[in-house]
Amino acid sequence: MTVRILPTAAVGTAALLAIGLAACGSDDSSNGDTGSSDSKATLSGSITGAGATFPQPVYTEWAADLKEQGLTVNYQGIGSGGGIAQFTAGTTDFGATDSAMDDDELKAAEAKGTPVHIPSVFGAVTVSYNVSGVEKGLKLDGETTANIFLGKVKKWNDASIAKQNEGVTLPDADITVCHRSDESGTTKLFTTYLAAYSKAWEDGPGVDKSVDWPTGTGAKGNDGVAACVKQTDGAVGYVEEAYALQNQFTFASLKNKAGQYVEPTLDSTSAAGDGVDVPEDLRFSAINAPGDASYPIASATFLLVYQDLCKAGADEAKAKNVKAWLDYALGDGQSKAESLNYAPLPSAILEKAKAKVAGLQCNGAAIG
Amino acid sequence: MSTPDTTLGGARPSLELGRALRSRIDGPVRQVLTAVAALILVLIAYFLLRLYLEARPVFANYGALNFVTDNAWVPSKDSFGAWPLIAGTLITSVIALIIGVPVAVASALYITELAPARIRGVLTTLIELLAAVPSVVYGLWGVFFLIPKIRPAEQWFSDTFAFLPFIGGGTVAGPNYFIAGLILAIMIIPIISSISREVLDTVPREHKEAALALGATRWEMIRMAVLPYSRAGISGAAMLGLGRALGETIAVTLVIGNAPRIGESIFSQGYTLAAVIANEFGEAASDPVHRAALIAAGLVLFMLTLIVNFIARWFVTRSEKRLSAAAAASHAPVQTAGAKA
Amino acid sequence: MTSPAAPLRSLPTISAARRRKDKAARSIVAVLTGLALVPLALVLFYLFQQGLGAWSVDFFTTDPTGRSCFPGQTSCDIGGVRSAIVGTVEIIALASAFAIPLGIAVAVYLVEYGKKTKFANTVRYFVDVMTGVPSIVFGLFVYIVLVVAGIGGSWGAWKGSVALALLMLPIVVRSSEVVLNLVPDQLRESALALGSPRWKVITSVVLPTARSGLITGSLLAVARAAGETAPLLFTAFGAAELTFGLSGQMNSLPLQIFNDVRAPQDAIVQRAWGAALLLVLMILALNLIARLAQRRSKIS
Repeated sequence: MTVRILPTAAVGTAALLAIGLAACGSDDSSNGDTGSSDSKATLSGSITGAGATFPQPVYTEWAADLKEQGLTVNYQGIGSGGGIAQFTAGTTDFGATDSAMDDDELKAAEAKGTPVHIPSVFGAVTVSYNVSGVEKGLKLDGETTANIFLGKVKKWNDASIAKQNEGVTLPDADITVCHRSDESGTTKLFTTYLAAYSKAWEDGPGVDKSVDWPTGTGAKGNDGVAACVKQTDGAVGYVEEAYALQNQFTFASLKNKAGQYVEPTLDSTSAAGDGVDVPEDLRFSAINAPGDASYPIASATFLLVYQDLCKAGADEAKAKNVKAWLDYALGDGQSKAESLNYAPLPSAILEKAKAKVAGLQCNGAAIG
Repeated sequence: MSTPDTTLGGARPSLELGRALRSRIDGPVRQVLTAVAALILVLIAYFLLRLYLEARPVFANYGALNFVTDNAWVPSKDSFGAWPLIAGTLITSVIALIIGVPVAVASALYITELAPARIRGVLTTLIELLAAVPSVVYGLWGVFFLIPKIRPAEQWFSDTFAFLPFIGGGTVAGPNYFIAGLILAIMIIPIISSISREVLDTVPREHKEAALALGATRWEMIRMAVLPYSRAGISGAAMLGLGRALGETIAVTLVIGNAPRIGESIFSQGYTLAAVIANEFGEAASDPVHRAALIAAGLVLFMLTLIVNFIARWFVTRSEKRLSAAAAASHAPVQTAGAKA
Repeated sequence: MTSPAAPLRSLPTISAARRRKDKAARSIVAVLTGLALVPLALVLFYLFQQGLGAWSVDFFTTDPTGRSCFPGQTSCDIGGVRSAIVGTVEIIALASAFAIPLGIAVAVYLVEYGKKTKFANTVRYFVDVMTGVPSIVFGLFVYIVLVVAGIGGSWGAWKGSVALALLMLPIVVRSSEVVLNLVPDQLRESALALGSPRWKVITSVVLPTARSGLITGSLLAVARAAGETAPLLFTAFGAAELTFGLSGQMNSLPLQIFNDVRAPQDAIVQRAWGAALLLVLMILALNLIARLAQRRSKIS
């Protein structure tokens, strides 16, 4: 007696294979969306991008907007490093990274042409806490924050905290530190701020996407740290601004370079970009920016494209689509980002970014 | 008289022809299967080789021995000592096996030997349902449900038994080795249980009935007739479960704390080889040495799996030899008695 | 003449100690079995609690839009997981079509032909090594070998299937080998003695006898593959819209869950749990169908 299941399964999988291979190729327009009869369905085709997880909600929102115009943008948040690697390998049409490429990464990417950094939105890192009786806006400066995360300051009513917060009743509770356990640009931003104000931090854990944390519990992702903070009384952790604003966390007001205690808001985040010295290739960092209204842990996130897209491997249609994506990002996309709790680019930087996009080329000619 | 002969004579050639044809397929079938096995061997060899090539930069920069023995995994300082990862992998896997194997084998035993026939099918499906849950769900359930719920119990245990090694006192971390091992145990139970169940099902009825006829209780029958027969199969199942435990990435990385050091107790945070790859690859992809280090961590994991499986197979072969020798020895006197009679 | 009482007296009586041991052992086994079911109940309850609310007609019939829909945005739709469902079915079906026949074939070779030869042992050890490989490494391997090299375009759902097939292969081979080894040699020998060629012995005697175990092993492999994200991340890449073509990017349930569960919006997180619940029930359905089909073919 022969085994009967295998033939049935084989037929089934063969059928599926047939469907799959028959429908292979581009299927992005087979979606049957109804609401775009009046919108300018002037674009077509699809492009792919990968990279930072921080701006992923914004990018997928922009992608949904562009979908209505006919262009499919497929973005996956695999991490800034992954974004740079894919961009360099040429498997994606654009990359995305939270911090600008360093010299080694730049050199590797230069094999295909000149990489261009285009800032898209600004974001910030909040210091969020869960302390009974303490409202939003606890004042902390860089050194105290570093000492908390170094494990030197162990209680909420420590003198260094109380000194900055006259009139606030601080409980005699232990501080539990929550930090990221995975590699992330958010960690790099946060540690850059700490290192700027604490020699002990700079010499110790240092600045990187992932460091050896002297104390505290590791959690994966923003949501992990958020859960860690929420679940433990007396916990403190660093969380992306969009996430913190969305979930109404209590976060601290940090002391910036000008000596002011600033609350993380979209305005203070964009303000950080105003004072920063921006180099020609737009590879800048806005951490610890000058200016009274600047939030000290703010930074831009970047989109990566090649200066000459076609020489790097794209065809003309694709180059056009990538430019349309970038135009939208720096155009209508900015107000969309704001509605999602991401800070739009400050005007000076926005103009520079737009100039960069206008200067993109396909085989030496401007992209139509 | 010749008629039956001729019909039989007429039928015989076609019978023989059929048999010859069918036997002729035997050779090619054997060759094809051998070729398939060889193909898989080549594929796996290529897999290992390719990954070794990717991992070479870290061995060149950092040194293979240092990679395995240094207790310092700090990528930001270009330090790639994987020893805390290896230790974490071993600790969590051992915990997973200690908890998982007895539970899984017990459930398989229960289903095949002790459960009333009506609920056998239901129990089987329920255990297999454990395998249907995606690993990320186990991890998240661990983070949001299990860790907060179990923490008071862990703290009590840690305080009460602080005199035992590896348990000792101090505050229990939320995510820790024990929770990771526990979640791994839950994940490997369905594998070990399902395959053990199939194994236990094939124990010949005569063995079992013979034991019962000799007056054994049900448990004694299981111990004498069922378990020895199934030992090889159950250990194969356990090895598959162990493989899962060694290589589980996402669930572990959510509940172990990802601290690249060796904790003093099972309630400290730790890290494993698989978790580090999942955690760091997204960001490390653009740094050749870091990326090579992560792939090298994978290679170390392969070595570990190979060594453990080797030991297990050797152990099983040895106990099987002993088993068949004992069986041969017990048969001999009966034969001589029969020969005499 | 023997009295009726005599035969009874000659049987050994079970001592109270042995009876107690028996009872204790059986209770322990039952308790441990119950213990195995406790986490299942807890996890399923948690899944239902978190995810059932996401289920709706839209959940099954629309694709994820990519929008975040902050509270306050009234006419905003986050969409469902249709493209993920289709993607999972296709990718897993293709992976199974690769892995299950190949795996069983290798196991048949090891048990029937290879036996204890050096070659067979080498294959065994190599397959053993594969059982412990983290899923992400399979994805990386396929990424390096197929995606970066640009074989058949860059991203491709079929490449994700290849990565998953590599994941499934050692599970199928190992479990099938265990089960095939348990088919009694007498069965093989009697069939051979009757004049049956070896291959026919395999297809008519060995495989049918081991069928239940082979199915169990294959289902375990499928369940494992269906829940994995990492191998797909660098191969199939993921997508929001519905695609049927296995040669391009494709969404899948684990990928969708992985992306959604990190979001700050509650509705999106709930969608992730809904997708997880769906995945579990899909695999359960597959299990039940396979068992039913097996039972039916046994009767006929």
